[in-house]
Amino acid sequence: MSLPAHVYQVYIAASPEQVWSAITESEWTRRYFHTTSFVERPRRGKPYRTVAADGRPAIDGVIEEMEPPAEGSPGRFVQTWHTLYDTALENEPPSRVEWTIESAGEGLTRVRLVHGNLDQSPLTWENVRNGWVWILNSMKTLLETGHPLPPVRADERLAQIVSS
Amino acid sequence: MEQGSEVFRALADPTRRALLDSLFSRDGQTLNELCERFPEMTRFGVMKHLAVLAEANLVLTARQGRMKRHYLNPVPIEQVANRWMSKYAARFAAALVALDDQVATDQERETVRKAEPA
Repeated sequence: MSLPAHVYQVYIAASPEQVWSAITESEWTRRYFHTTSFVERPRRGKPYRTVAADGRPAIDGVIEEMEPPAEGSPGRFVQTWHTLYDTALENEPPSRVEWTIESAGEGLTRVRLVHGNLDQSPLTWENVRNGWVWILNSMKTLLETGHPLPPVRADERLAQIVSS
Repeated sequence: MEQGSEVFRALADPTRRALLDSLFSRDGQTLNELCERFPEMTRFGVMKHLAVLAEANLVLTARQGRMKRHYLNPVPIEQVANRWMSKYAARFAAALVALDDQVATDQERETVRKAEPA
């Protein structure tokens, strides 16, 4: 069975440069991405790993593309995605997450996220389906108001994973 | 942007909700596949509804080779929901009040500017 990619899009009242920082810099990610941060500054062509605030491993993979947004050209951040926070998910092969960051007018940025290559990873497919919606809205809320969404839903989701 | 009007308008129509249901159960369908699922509608009708859903950022398209596929984007729906969920609403309300204050201040400035003799 072939599983379709997940495709999401959100408009954020911030500059493409601010959104780029929010995606690629730990000082930002730990505030909206379930407390996770990059162990080392991500670099194109290099492996990466993210950990939660308590040090537990979250995700690892390779940064396949890393091109910041510039005048007239969208930013691209492409990472392979291998889950480490859950054994069943960890046993599935890496998938691919592609971020495209593009100006949508003065002070407005369009973020598109495609999570594909999930054919052999049905559990990951199901797990990230709603997860990305929360992450994208939390990032939007953080950039627009200075505060992320309260972590309640993330906890509930984690509880679901643990109990299932 | 994204105060929700477009989302509500798009969701107000039962056919458009059915299109979203169809994408929810099978994401990434082509126009032909969607037309097959809605034989009572013309191709033009399906396209028109998809355009309204795309305008509201509820449906996204992506090219895969020669195929154009349609994907459900649930992000705006959660934004609409969060607005009235007590755990989340305070932030939205605060942002809206701040925006309202800003607009009011801008309008006052404008009034003062206009009242000043040239």
